[in-house]
Amino acid sequence: MNISIKWAVTILLTIFSIYLVFVLNEEGPLRILFNLLTFAGIYGLAAIGLNVHFGLTGLLNFGHASFMGVGAYVTLLLIPHAAGREGEITESGLPFLLALLIGVISASLFGLILGLPAIRLRGDYLAIVTIAAAEIFRLLVRDLESITGGVYGIINFSDSLQRYRPLLLENFVSKYDLNPSQVWVGLLSWVSILFVLLILRRLTNSPWGRALRAVREDEDAVRALGKNAVWLKLQSFMLGAGIAGLAGVFLAFNYGSLQTTTFVPLLTFYVWAIMILGGVGSLSGPIFGSIIFWVIISETDKLASLIFENANGQQLAGVRFVLVGLLIMVLMIFRPSGLLGKKEELLLNVK
Amino acid sequence: MSNSLLRVHNLKKTFGGVKAVDIDDLNFQSKELTSIIGPNGAGKTTLFDLISGFQDEDSGEVFYKDKNITKSQPYKIARLGMVRTFQLTKVFDRMTVLENLMFAGSNISNDSLLQSIMQLSNQKKYEDSLKEEAIKVMEDLNIEQMSSSYARELSGGQKKLLELGRSIIKKPDVLLLDEPLAGVNPKLAEDLLEIIQNLSKQGITILMVEHNIEAVMKISERVVVLAEGALIADGPPQEVRENQKVIEAYLGTGDE
Repeated sequence: MNISIKWAVTILLTIFSIYLVFVLNEEGPLRILFNLLTFAGIYGLAAIGLNVHFGLTGLLNFGHASFMGVGAYVTLLLIPHAAGREGEITESGLPFLLALLIGVISASLFGLILGLPAIRLRGDYLAIVTIAAAEIFRLLVRDLESITGGVYGIINFSDSLQRYRPLLLENFVSKYDLNPSQVWVGLLSWVSILFVLLILRRLTNSPWGRALRAVREDEDAVRALGKNAVWLKLQSFMLGAGIAGLAGVFLAFNYGSLQTTTFVPLLTFYVWAIMILGGVGSLSGPIFGSIIFWVIISETDKLASLIFENANGQQLAGVRFVLVGLLIMVLMIFRPSGLLGKKEELLLNVK
Repeated sequence: MSNSLLRVHNLKKTFGGVKAVDIDDLNFQSKELTSIIGPNGAGKTTLFDLISGFQDEDSGEVFYKDKNITKSQPYKIARLGMVRTFQLTKVFDRMTVLENLMFAGSNISNDSLLQSIMQLSNQKKYEDSLKEEAIKVMEDLNIEQMSSSYARELSGGQKKLLELGRSIIKKPDVLLLDEPLAGVNPKLAEDLLEIIQNLSKQGITILMVEHNIEAVMKISERVVVLAEGALIADGPPQEVRENQKVIEAYLGTGDE
């Protein structure tokens, strides 16, 4: 497909999805739109991180949720919060930005620690190890109740970020009856996306990006040409994990409380779906993929209720996943490279 | 000790009881063009794998420029100036020919993450000179018209050329070529032979595994024959051709 047609189709589809939100919601469509745009920003950011792993380097990472989780937990535990059954309050803490920085670096380091033994594995084997590591992380966090709050989670941390909310936003939000803290988190996640994409655009066109693509294509040849393939893969793993960590922090602030159940494998699969939808290996693909995905997720039950008049809520929720599955199938058949992916660099045939 | 460039000593490797390589002592001199021949399963590629670090030996040692590289990682060995190609061509399919070459030619500091984020002017300058170098290699190999094609679009022979080009751009001291002529049409094979001979004249030490006996006899200065992992003959092409053991093990009737 021609490059400009590809973009036109993608942008039209995105606009159409947003239009759907207005059509399907008579009451407060703007509130719903901002809700799903916030999720889209956060998940899009995570998908961009995954794209560094898979699209750029060919690493099959199925433990993305754990990178998001490490970022979120480390950051929240460093700022004032309340954790556990008793809601034990920790009033002192680091300033938000510093905690965020440490959180993101921790996610990167978690990538390094996981990568050191695992990154030599190829293809599916790495996938198995990452999905297992993510589950270990989640169960560990659940059971280390004295630190992480266990199943009771962490609450009362939002103020660290919300106190920086600008007045301008406040005025805008009150005019349209939106949730101010959510709009603020959404805004920050989209700003982060822009920032991360600017850096990644530079990196993918750089010698480093070229080296990662070479690793993706043939590791033996990379080694035979005097390049340290393992180190290149580790760097990629750390970079993508750091981006996921950042997304994890925003996810926690969007919910306003942090639960271990947030980081179940389903989260990873959502991020995968977004990346595939947007186009594997395409830098800006995940942004559009994410918006369309979230419109589908949040609006399908309304669509379905138009079709199945007598269905109850639970049945409609099931229809949602049927539709997501169908969408991915249709996509794989007719456009396997996703919305913005390059056909020539189609990646879903991993060795 | 000998002053050979590459030395293999007591090298042994078995696969499930089958002897793949069992060589007492084998030296390769600087600037020599040596061919390694032998029947299928003679251990030729395994020998390359052991030398270039892609497989671990059961016992024995490999010395390169008097340095023990027995346990070295492949990329470290390549950095010492010994570069190999593969029997089954390994090009970067979804990268262009130019990118294939630029990746190979790029030095380590240029590839670094930090450098790439900063994109300082010296990196840009280096990239430009690298591109020029890549173009020159493509011209030498007569694939410059393929510059912006994806490598997977190349024919089998062109892939061989590209793989050779990637090795050349690294300016190696030693080239290990694993069946450079396999699956290449006769015309291109002739071109490839000429290129290999030229590289040898430029002072690059070349070790070549090849089944095309005619080509081997034509360009090699020395021929090493392996059978069942062991060395059975070693010498100038003419001498090896007349060696009775070689005729029995490999050349058949000998009137080839």
